[in-house]
Amino acid sequence: MLNSRKKNQISLFEGVDSVAVIIYFLLVLIGFVNIVSASYNDEIEAFSFAQNYIKQIFWMGAAFSVALIILLLDSRYYHMYAYYAYAGGILLLIAVLLFGREVNGAKAWFEFGSVRIQPVEFAKIATALATARLMSNYSFSIKRLGHLMRVAFIIFLPLAIIILQNDTGSGVVLCSFIFVLYREGLNKWICIPMIIVAVLFICSFLFTPLFLLLLLLIIFTASSAMMIGSWRMHIMFLAAICLSAMLLYGLSMFVFGGTLSGYASLLIMTIVGVVVAAIYAFRKNIAAMFLTLGIFIISVAFVPTADTIFESVLKEHQKVRILSFLGIMSDPSGADYNVNQSKIAIGSGGLFGKGFMEGTQIKYNFVPEKHTDFIFCTVGEEWGFIGSMIVLGLLCALILRLMKMGERQEEPFSRIYSYCVAAILLFHVLVNVGMTVGLMPVMGIPLPFLSYGGSSLVAFTILVFVAIRLDASPRKGLMSAVR
Amino acid sequence: MSGNDTYIRRMILQAIVYGIFAVIALRVGYIQLFDSKYKSLADGNVLRYEVLYAPRGEIIDRNGEYLVQSKECYDLMVTYRDIGKQGFDTVRLCELVGISKEKLLRVLRDARSAPRKATLVAAFVPTEVKVRLDEYNFPGFHSVYRTMRNYPRKIGGNLLGYLEEVNRNDIKEGEGEYKMGDYIGRAGVEAAYEKYLRGDDGVMILEKDAHGAIKGSYMDGMYDTLPVAGKRITCTIDARLQAFAEELMEGLVGAVVAIEPQTGEILVMASSPTFDPDELIGRERGNNYMRLLRNKRNPLFNRAVKAKYPPGSTFKLVQGLIGLQEGVLTPAQAYPCHLGYHVGRISQKCHPHASPLDLRNAVAQSCNAYFCYVFRDIIDNRKYGSVKKGLEVWTDYVKSFGYGRKLDSDFIGEGPGTVPTREFYDKRYRGSWNSLTVLSLSIGQGELGCTPLQMANLAATIANRGYYYIPHIVKAIEGQDSIDRRFYEKQYTKVDSEHFTPIAEGMWRGVNVQGAGTSWRAYVPGLDICGKTGTAQNPHGKDHSTFLSFAPKDNPKIAISVYVEFGGFGATIALPIASLLEEYYLTDTITRPHLIETIKNFPYNPRHYAE
Repeated sequence: MLNSRKKNQISLFEGVDSVAVIIYFLLVLIGFVNIVSASYNDEIEAFSFAQNYIKQIFWMGAAFSVALIILLLDSRYYHMYAYYAYAGGILLLIAVLLFGREVNGAKAWFEFGSVRIQPVEFAKIATALATARLMSNYSFSIKRLGHLMRVAFIIFLPLAIIILQNDTGSGVVLCSFIFVLYREGLNKWICIPMIIVAVLFICSFLFTPLFLLLLLLIIFTASSAMMIGSWRMHIMFLAAICLSAMLLYGLSMFVFGGTLSGYASLLIMTIVGVVVAAIYAFRKNIAAMFLTLGIFIISVAFVPTADTIFESVLKEHQKVRILSFLGIMSDPSGADYNVNQSKIAIGSGGLFGKGFMEGTQIKYNFVPEKHTDFIFCTVGEEWGFIGSMIVLGLLCALILRLMKMGERQEEPFSRIYSYCVAAILLFHVLVNVGMTVGLMPVMGIPLPFLSYGGSSLVAFTILVFVAIRLDASPRKGLMSAVR
Repeated sequence: MSGNDTYIRRMILQAIVYGIFAVIALRVGYIQLFDSKYKSLADGNVLRYEVLYAPRGEIIDRNGEYLVQSKECYDLMVTYRDIGKQGFDTVRLCELVGISKEKLLRVLRDARSAPRKATLVAAFVPTEVKVRLDEYNFPGFHSVYRTMRNYPRKIGGNLLGYLEEVNRNDIKEGEGEYKMGDYIGRAGVEAAYEKYLRGDDGVMILEKDAHGAIKGSYMDGMYDTLPVAGKRITCTIDARLQAFAEELMEGLVGAVVAIEPQTGEILVMASSPTFDPDELIGRERGNNYMRLLRNKRNPLFNRAVKAKYPPGSTFKLVQGLIGLQEGVLTPAQAYPCHLGYHVGRISQKCHPHASPLDLRNAVAQSCNAYFCYVFRDIIDNRKYGSVKKGLEVWTDYVKSFGYGRKLDSDFIGEGPGTVPTREFYDKRYRGSWNSLTVLSLSIGQGELGCTPLQMANLAATIANRGYYYIPHIVKAIEGQDSIDRRFYEKQYTKVDSEHFTPIAEGMWRGVNVQGAGTSWRAYVPGLDICGKTGTAQNPHGKDHSTFLSFAPKDNPKIAISVYVEFGGFGATIALPIASLLEEYYLTDTITRPHLIETIKNFPYNPRHYAE
């Protein structure tokens, strides 16, 4: 015991995964180079503090200091204080909701002088720690509905507060935890319908409610059948609902003169079906079916009513972004402007790019937010396809490395946490780079390590270095160390 | 959870990560490497191709006086996309530029359909206004340097021509030489020497930022080109004489053409009524153009080179020359005249004068009968067997004087006039006709149609005693040693030089020997003016008045033809104009101001042109 402690003190970086650290430094450095190019303002002095890249130097210093502190701290603390961190994170989110400053319509910032901090970035770390702590409990079983509900609560509580802050984009990041849940044994026939429902929600404007309802019925019946088996019974169930709905519709047409629409008929029969299925599940005691039914009810409540949610919950700019992404609305000088200009900047980069500080689209301000959310445009335009591939390659390597680091842990806490970090990074890259090339609707979330911004750089640094620290600790169980 | 299941889940998650990155990488690769539209869109964002318009060449007269100058002006352009959301003060802009709000809104609507393109808001913005516009710096608006025409003497509307914006056809035929918004010469010297006058436009490629503000030149100006100014053209015109001719012709319909016989250079080309060339530039151009088009006297029609006038008695000179060459006439040959020429039912009237007359006196007195004899002798000549063959010979002679064909001058739109041929009469009279049928040709009537330029050319040919130079309007082009070769070659007629002497002497007698001819009013002591009046009958009203002249008799300096539609006797109005112009050109003085008064007070209101 003493011996091992001594060893830790002798070599601070023993066991630290050098690959992950090198990738991290490369990404931050590339990010800095691009921030210089994207935010250089020729109207003020090159080394003035008003230049964003000078500020970024300070943020980088802060991030590196935090990284060092994390490596110095005992790895047990993260497990021990996970729930406290979570409670702190939730309090911060509530505080910012009450006292925060509104920027771009989102009340998500604390302001101290000229420094702004976005608590949501830190809430992600806290949520990742809490999820890992909860799921690493000896008694925890993802197969048990009650336990799953606890995980869902931990994830959706911050998400709900973030949505209230009107910062939906940052909140949705937490949905990426389904990636972790799948790794930890969540039935894929829960994951797949949820992903489909998420896609359907975004695309719900393209279909009629009747069609959506029918689609949901089919998806969930199929997934239930995949989980429980007994296909024949599920098909019969589906057919019974459809036929009785048609019968009801016909009846109302000829007997009551068309008081019920097709959608209403199907909805009534669906409710009847759900009740019947619930009674059946209760009597046969099939827990999986309750889960499917629960998700189904939530989906039915949200997806066909997406129009209403869309109108009442989403803000104008969010609506416009989603509509323009789906191609329902086109306005090249308005909502589409960002994405169009972003694609133009990246597309004009070619194979080798235009060179450092030579990107005309960046230099002449055609791309908005070019040093923050649209930093990938700077990479694409000035460093071309080769530069873009290097950045994407590094990000991909870091995510895979984190997954690998998770897999080699004996301790579930470290593994789950590593996967949480990988999931968060993956989601950020997918949405951020996806929006710059028009694959995703515009959501204001940063590109990890590259985007300008103190909160996000420090938060991602903490996120990754905690994982590195957990990985670097002697590969013994944490609990035994405490003992 | 079995180990195998965990392994599958790990692999699936890894596959998802690879899959997501592969999709993103493919998408990035597609837009960067395969879809080339983004490069041109990026250029469209950043680059602005600013045309540096070449100043159009200036035109000066033979003495170096400016006929046309280039004046700096600006085109105000708007790029819709750069206006920005906050907009601008439309009222102030309209006030400054002097356009109506409706017009501005119309332009903005057009500009909206091509938001990246610069759209013309107003042309011919003067420098003072441009400076003020720059002060206000309206977003999205910029001005482009152009030049506009400026006419210091306000003369020679039809002679100089005018500019017009190119149309689709011009752009197609120009094969890349022209683009929308360019100007092209439409008539006169502007059209004839377009390729020298226009110069070459340059281009400046600029980089602009998202707000449309110019950030500097693209690639340090590597692809920029400088404009090359158009060439200066020296006209053969004598501006003072041209101005005097236009002044004398004011209110009359007709044309004056004067040629320097030794060179073929056109000294005066005045078509009347004319127009102020300044009217066909600037923003009022369209209205003025329509007004000129609607004018019954048709000021846009260049009578000097396009009209077909019966030459009247001036054509007797040609008749005499052909007779002499054909050997059917000698200068001493005399014919009687009893108030005309009468054969059977056919008769050609003549005014009272002494009889019989020889050739010189017949020219001086303009005896109709005399030239009827001559004409019939030419075409009825036995050696040609028939009148038809005779007429063919006659037509050949006439054409050698430049009649009935284009003279091939450098003036675009020059008319050929008409000289009737044998086929023409065969068709009209179904083959049965003789010299009496076409007798009116002998005194320049009938089916003859000549342009004033052709008539002036006849005067120059007689002045030169047998040859002419192709009349031309341009004396020199900047940067070139010479003009086209054809203008340096003597063009001989089919009549030998020696036969011209008696004709020229007859013309001299008509002016200088009191009582011997019709042209004595043209007499100026010491100038030895030679002239021939013409009074052309026409079906539309009063006779046309014409006068053909050159001076001095030996070593002539100027040959001139004046034609006044419905002017009456040749001696009445055309003669004093020609005489005054010759005197002014040769001596730089006007000794007979009363003649000017007579011309200005000439009662003139031809019914043909009545509104």
